[in-house]
Amino acid sequence: MKIKNLRYFAYALLAVAFSACQKEPSTSELNDDYLVYTDYDTSIDFAAFETYFIPDSILVIGSNYEAQYWKDENAQEIIATVIAQMNNSGYTQSFDKEAADLGIQMSYVEEVTYFVGYNNPYWWWYYPYYWAPGYWGDWLGWHYPYSVYYGYTAGSLLVEMVNLDAPQEGSKKLPVIWDSFIGGLLTSNSQVNLQRTIDGIDQAFEQTPIW
Amino acid sequence: MKTSKYLKIAACCTVLLAAAVPSKAQLFPNTYLNIDWQIAVPVNSSFADKTSGWGMNFEGGYFVTPAITVGPFISYQTNLESIDRQTLDLGDGSVLTTNQKHALFQLPFGVTGRYNWMTDRVFQPYVGLKMGANYAEMSSYYYVVKQYSDSWGFYLSPEIGASIFPCPEYRMGLHVALYYGFATNRSDVLIYSIDNINHFGVRVGISF
Repeated sequence: MKIKNLRYFAYALLAVAFSACQKEPSTSELNDDYLVYTDYDTSIDFAAFETYFIPDSILVIGSNYEAQYWKDENAQEIIATVIAQMNNSGYTQSFDKEAADLGIQMSYVEEVTYFVGYNNPYWWWYYPYYWAPGYWGDWLGWHYPYSVYYGYTAGSLLVEMVNLDAPQEGSKKLPVIWDSFIGGLLTSNSQVNLQRTIDGIDQAFEQTPIW
Repeated sequence: MKTSKYLKIAACCTVLLAAAVPSKAQLFPNTYLNIDWQIAVPVNSSFADKTSGWGMNFEGGYFVTPAITVGPFISYQTNLESIDRQTLDLGDGSVLTTNQKHALFQLPFGVTGRYNWMTDRVFQPYVGLKMGANYAEMSSYYYVVKQYSDSWGFYLSPEIGASIFPCPEYRMGLHVALYYGFATNRSDVLIYSIDNINHFGVRVGISF
């Protein structure tokens, strides 16, 4: 082999060396499916609860300072899916918020523009006033009695279960005892998004071993 | 990544030097340099176990005797695997359902020694052994998340190969090798674990 040819080979190797050291896999295929993450308070006896209350709308977390509620027929289908799963799990729907043992709050992350930014405390402060503890009772703030990981991204649905039997006196916090994060719900096809959301809710209940 | 930067600088200098000195390919007396592309096949691995050609090897050596060389080496390799959607029990109440991409990156470096035969011929076979440290990064990509853990281990790699010099007096030619790599890295990501990393592979490159 001629020296000249070897030099070209050396240049080719140099190009390869420069192209990448650590190869990152293509993640485009990861968008073809949805993600479901669930977690719960392992110290809670979920069989001790009997009734639950669920609002008739989904909080939309977007770019508006005013809280938005998603109430159309798609939202009703999503809420109906949660109701069906709760009923199948042995709980009874209550239409009296004060009398219910559990509360279900659902939030759809439409945009993350303001929600994730601590540099905008005004919005951070006011974001959850629909699902603020005051909506449920006389609690002062929420708390998760376990480690929880959320990836706030556009096209995500949060379904959280709060314990309405928890004590309210003395500035107590309202405990979130079960949560689910369903991601990957934002495609260009609204029907696909709805079906993914419903499938994701079904999966969230299926993978939770407490009922 | 700093290591990547240094690696690229080293590769650049090496190749440019080689290209600039065509009349005397041996840059320094009694030495050799190799730059190789490598393909690695994981052995007994349950994480990122697909064969991959995302790797390179850089090494050099000094002829301490007419047959024995000793010198430094550094190489890198990434193996990948796609995981269909599955439900993972993460423990303590946490459950995750997702599809994933797994990646196992290795960066071994240390000392390499060779015993060479027929060093004045066109075809110059050798047996070698590499020893050193192995940095490994075990990663799972899912949704918009990259979750990873890194580890260090001891690296040992026997090798057989040959340098092929069309004109032995210039010592610039091709290099081929077959090697086995063993590293003692231990690491965990999500529900996946690695305890030692084994693979074999092929290297093809240039030698001067």
